[in-house]
Amino acid sequence: MDRALIPDGLKRCPLPVFALWTLILVGVIGWGVMAGAMVLVKALNLTGLNDYFGFGAYITADLAIIALGAGAFFSGFLYYGLSRFFPALKELGKIINLAVVVGFVCYTGALAVLLLEIGQPLRGWFGYWHANVHSMLTEVIFCITCYAIVLVIEYIPLILENRKISEVKSLRVLGHSMHDVMAIFALTGTFLSFFHQGSLGGVAGVLFARPFAFREGLFIWPWTFFLFILSAIASGPAFTALICRSLEKVSGKKLVDRSVYDLIGKIEGGLLGAYMILKIADTAYWAFGLAPRFGFKLGDFYWGPYGIWLLIAEIGICGVLPALILLSPAGRRSNFLLFGAFLLDIIGVSINRFVMTIQAIAAPVMPFDSWQIYVPTVYEWAPILAMLAYCILVISLSYRYLPLFPREKELNRT
Amino acid sequence: MSEKGHAQSGVRYGMVIDLDKCTGCGACSVACQAENNISFRPDESMKLRSITWMEIYPMNNGKDYPDYRFSYLPRPCMHCDSDHHSPCTFVCPVNATTRDENNGLVTHIYPRCIGCRYCMVACPYHARDFNWWDPTWPKQMESMLSPEVSTRMRGVVEKCTFCHHRLLKARSKAYVDGADPNKVTYTPACADACPTRAISFGNLMDASSEVGKLSKDPRAFRILEKLGTKPKVYYLSRHDWIKNLADNAIK
Amino acid sequence: MKFGRRAFLQIAAGAVGGTLLTPLPWKLADDSAIWSQNWSWRPSPERGEVTKAPAICTFCEGGCGLQARLVNGNRAILLEGNPANPVNEGGICPLGAAGLQFLYAPYRITQPLKQTKRRGDPSGLQPISWEEAQSELGKKLSTIRSDGKAHTVACITAARQSSMDDLLVQFFAAYGSPNLFKMPSQTDGMKTAAFLTTGSSGPFAFDLENAAYILSFGANLLDGGTAPNRAFAALRRLNKTPGQARIVQVESRCSITASKAGQWVPVNPGTEAALALGIAHLMVTGGAFDSEFVNANVFGFDDWTDAAGKKRQGFKSFITSNAFAPDETAKKTGLDAAKIRDLAKEFASQAKAVAVWGIGQPDNPNNTYHDLAFVALNALKGNLKADGLLSIAPDLPLADLPPGQKDIFAERAVEQKRLDLTKSKCPCPQNGLYGFFDALVSGPQYPIQVLMVHEANPAHSLPETKLVQSALDKVGTLVCFSSFMDETAAQADLILPNHTSLERYDDAKGIPGAPYGYYALGAPILKPLLKTKHTGEVVLALARDMAGSVAASLPWKTYEEYLKFRVDGLAKAQKGAVADKSGVVLATLKAGESPKPNFTDGADLWKKLKAGACWYDAPAGASFTKTASGKFELAVQAVQGKGAAPAEDQMFLPHFRPLMPSGKEAELPLLLVSYATPFIASGYLANPPFMNKLVPDYMLNGQDVFVDINPETAKTLGFARGDLVTLKTSQAETAVRINISPAARPGVVYIPRGLGHKAYDEYIQNKGVNANSLMEVQLDPISGNGTVWATRAQLRRA
Repeated sequence: MDRALIPDGLKRCPLPVFALWTLILVGVIGWGVMAGAMVLVKALNLTGLNDYFGFGAYITADLAIIALGAGAFFSGFLYYGLSRFFPALKELGKIINLAVVVGFVCYTGALAVLLLEIGQPLRGWFGYWHANVHSMLTEVIFCITCYAIVLVIEYIPLILENRKISEVKSLRVLGHSMHDVMAIFALTGTFLSFFHQGSLGGVAGVLFARPFAFREGLFIWPWTFFLFILSAIASGPAFTALICRSLEKVSGKKLVDRSVYDLIGKIEGGLLGAYMILKIADTAYWAFGLAPRFGFKLGDFYWGPYGIWLLIAEIGICGVLPALILLSPAGRRSNFLLFGAFLLDIIGVSINRFVMTIQAIAAPVMPFDSWQIYVPTVYEWAPILAMLAYCILVISLSYRYLPLFPREKELNRT
Repeated sequence: MSEKGHAQSGVRYGMVIDLDKCTGCGACSVACQAENNISFRPDESMKLRSITWMEIYPMNNGKDYPDYRFSYLPRPCMHCDSDHHSPCTFVCPVNATTRDENNGLVTHIYPRCIGCRYCMVACPYHARDFNWWDPTWPKQMESMLSPEVSTRMRGVVEKCTFCHHRLLKARSKAYVDGADPNKVTYTPACADACPTRAISFGNLMDASSEVGKLSKDPRAFRILEKLGTKPKVYYLSRHDWIKNLADNAIK
Repeated sequence: MKFGRRAFLQIAAGAVGGTLLTPLPWKLADDSAIWSQNWSWRPSPERGEVTKAPAICTFCEGGCGLQARLVNGNRAILLEGNPANPVNEGGICPLGAAGLQFLYAPYRITQPLKQTKRRGDPSGLQPISWEEAQSELGKKLSTIRSDGKAHTVACITAARQSSMDDLLVQFFAAYGSPNLFKMPSQTDGMKTAAFLTTGSSGPFAFDLENAAYILSFGANLLDGGTAPNRAFAALRRLNKTPGQARIVQVESRCSITASKAGQWVPVNPGTEAALALGIAHLMVTGGAFDSEFVNANVFGFDDWTDAAGKKRQGFKSFITSNAFAPDETAKKTGLDAAKIRDLAKEFASQAKAVAVWGIGQPDNPNNTYHDLAFVALNALKGNLKADGLLSIAPDLPLADLPPGQKDIFAERAVEQKRLDLTKSKCPCPQNGLYGFFDALVSGPQYPIQVLMVHEANPAHSLPETKLVQSALDKVGTLVCFSSFMDETAAQADLILPNHTSLERYDDAKGIPGAPYGYYALGAPILKPLLKTKHTGEVVLALARDMAGSVAASLPWKTYEEYLKFRVDGLAKAQKGAVADKSGVVLATLKAGESPKPNFTDGADLWKKLKAGACWYDAPAGASFTKTASGKFELAVQAVQGKGAAPAEDQMFLPHFRPLMPSGKEAELPLLLVSYATPFIASGYLANPPFMNKLVPDYMLNGQDVFVDINPETAKTLGFARGDLVTLKTSQAETAVRINISPAARPGVVYIPRGLGHKAYDEYIQNKGVNANSLMEVQLDPISGNGTVWATRAQLRRA
């Protein structure tokens, strides 16, 4: 029925199966949208947030999803920017379209959730109008908005490649000319992304009265600024690769060459390794230099559910371990180890975003204050899950109707 | 501009709270609620969502019966005087909360606030409260709302203003009287109410003022001084265990 | 031209694009932001001129001067302390600061109501006019009276420091009923002790302001009891000279007072008097007492002979017995013997040391013998000398009410015994409210046809709630004069709502426990908001309608006129002065040295009082001329009353009465003690919403109240913080949550007072448990006062 829309020469699952899958996703999205609408109407008291936990699940999910969406800009940077110096990176062209789609959904989804997070959504635009140049959040607002626009521009030519749409000549021409200038947008996006990934780190790092989060740094940027950039690029492409792998598993087809995964593994291994070295140095300096200056020892920051296990999980199990796997050729050869390491990598970065957002404020600062535990409600889970469902939906639609993988046809010749 | 990063005037309003006098009765907090049109709800036992500008913190010496002792610590906004910015004014993306460098007051413009709560996250004193609900009053009690302080709307942050409207009133009066509006003194509602006279208020930079003297008292300390927030609220106590609870110290 | 899908899409896209280029979206965004700032459901307070009006605070008996801020003269927005008032010097307690929430309370009674269905049925309370309400009550009272049954009309009032007190006394005397009771107070016990030892009718007063050392036997100085601001002033003074002055708090729990005190002496609950006697023992055996004062002015220190010629043991030989030696005292109180010796030495050696007790506790009179023990300690210190730290509260020279006229009905009825005295045989009856309840419940000698309740909420605020409720159920007609729909008003047959104190004339005659003379007048700060009426005016109208001797005894047309009459007397006495500006220091007033009057006549004094200036006078000191011996009596001969002399010598002397709570220790192994907290109003007033914010979540969380127990007790019982458990006493059983606090004495359970309301509104009801429903009352054998100590209790898993 929708044969005409499916890219030429590719096989897709029957429409009813896809329709059912879509229906499930739309159901989850509807549930989340309902929950979100309730939050807008009845205000934020529906959430688990309180005066102690000003930030919660919304922000954590946003930070994590934006970090993982970094595959888009970084792959673009490598492919459009660096590949002319390092031809090996040309391999990434086989997955770059997916990276753009992933980036697009991650950023647009995050923006939608951000709208719920603020108490006065009708005044959201004050961020542009009454901007405080000192605030890291201002930097975040501007960069994310600009980059979301860039992603839209990057996504449009992909849509225009749809068989039916490209029948219209003017649109086809538009798509092709946009493709030609994509390198410019990709590099603009890279620039913006470096900034906003960094400023998301800055959001936590500049809190000079929160010893858990505060870091010194370079000029106006705390170390977290750079660590967030590094951790984002060390996990974003891994996330894209994992999604690609999931698409392969679900569709039962080969979509990219194994060499692409290997390349991403190598890149991520190197970046994660570098990130880990810096992160461990940062943690050590924080624990034994910075925090003691404020009167805290490392143990003061961990308690109850927010125990030291978070640090061990983030840096050890989900940091050093995947880095070592990815750096070893043997590790990269095994599918289990390679994709397991990718998974650990993105879990580690998500833990980092959680820790820098929630644990940073769960830890009491005044000595006579006490630890508090934050429990998100369904009004936080539902929009977040809906956002994920939205991501999956757009990726599914894109995969079904757009020629995302240039090598798909060749790889699946029977 | 000075080395402190902000223009200096000769006025820095501040507060000194004598914990040896304070019994924690809460009159300051109630007076503050009445003065500032602070909203309340039928159940106020969810303390982490209760709007209280002047919050009474309990603290104790950690010992067992009969060596146990406790004290209360009233906590207004500290109106941090840290270099360049207060922790909260630094982070506000929309300039809704700023520090007036003429007098050191950290103010918050409710109609400007978008409710992102970044300032709350930045404040280690929990001085800021969010309007989780639409503020409502029993119909009859709307009659006791003060016209001098605007009521807030849901979804914005609010906090102690050191009764900024009282300063404005005092300045207007000085202006009309032909006096120097920059030299006025005034008292916030909490200090007015305190039945043990534990709260003093005035210009910290005026060495001859009560707060100027008390802030230099050997009993004086501030909370979390190590963070460099430079609070303009000082506390007095002769008990070491209370002073030790003011700042984190690695034992 | 065909209008196809394509054209439609083009037009739509053009329209969207075009609109985006106009200012419209920006204008809409701006408008929406402005709209979010001016939501119609967000109240905008009406603006206008802000003025100040003086008032007095009657939310407790502390007599603080207030000033209200008004907008346009008709909207009160803030209550503050009156800086000119020498008691609170501009300060205000949390209850006072929240006071406007009573004026504007949603649970106020808007007009007279009459119960048309079963008592307690809210749907049966029908609005009636004031004429109907007053004539209904008037007719009933007149009929009862003309039947010769005036004594079957009773009244419970909370008015003690207000002239309403005297007005009701006058009315009931003229009407002809002895059954006028007051809500219990510590003052009842203070009066009994003062009467027995000095023969005076006034209660004891303490010169906290001039004491350098305050040995407090469980007095509620800083924990939010009655008259907190005066105690705060004392604390303020003590702090000015650190190291030179101090409070020593004797109490089982680490209260705020104990924590702020220089020293906390933790004892078993109810053994404070044992410690006092132990200290007295050491002072007497060590000769460390004011022998000059004792020899010259004290009767019963040495052995004495009673009226019948019988030899009686004196205090000296009694107290020096080994039963009061440090080791024995240590056993009773749980203290170290060495600690007792230290305390005695400290107290005996301090030049300006006073022993205080019970002040600040509005509803707990003490056991008379315990009060006598504390008085004895002061006597040994010589504190009852003319300029001593313990004195009798001065009698204010307000105009006395004209002698009541009694007609035949009144005389016949007054011959009837007060209902509590038909059963109990206490020798020195005081405020026999609990005797009254006991009699009502156990088959009274005569029924109570009408019970009037004035500004009190006995159904909630009295311990042994069950007994009080059974008694109220026995009453023929329950008439309430409350301003609020409280638990008692909810079950009234007739409600004649009073103005709140800010809408009426009211006064404060002295401050409980304060030695100086004090009088303050409160005028309405605004017009009454609702169809309410001053209960004083209602009483005057009732009297007028009854005509004859009743009308003649209460000749004033309005309450204002009545107060003017009283103030006129004050002016005529030409004693004392008014504090019309700040700076008056009551602490410096010396007994017998009255300040020079700064007012001319009654009209002048009235004007000044109405403007917010209070009247004050020097302390009266103590005189012993009215006792049988003409001296201060350590052996209280008056304890004999009108009956036969007690056989035991000890009955004349201060001694320790161990706590005898009912119930078996095996079943109820713990002790339950209720405590007052500054965060919760207990008594007539329910907690205002502002104060709810002060109540910590380890005291009340949602509907659950927390009881404090020591970590050791918790360990023994296997309880963790927040556990929901069952608390059982001889009175009731209820669910509570556990708060583990080292402030609690092992083996004792502490529960806050003032919670557990069922009436009022959603801001008040169903929060916690009414501590009074769990507590047991014991009748004091001397005065018949209901005393509340500790009740046996059990905690078990729910």
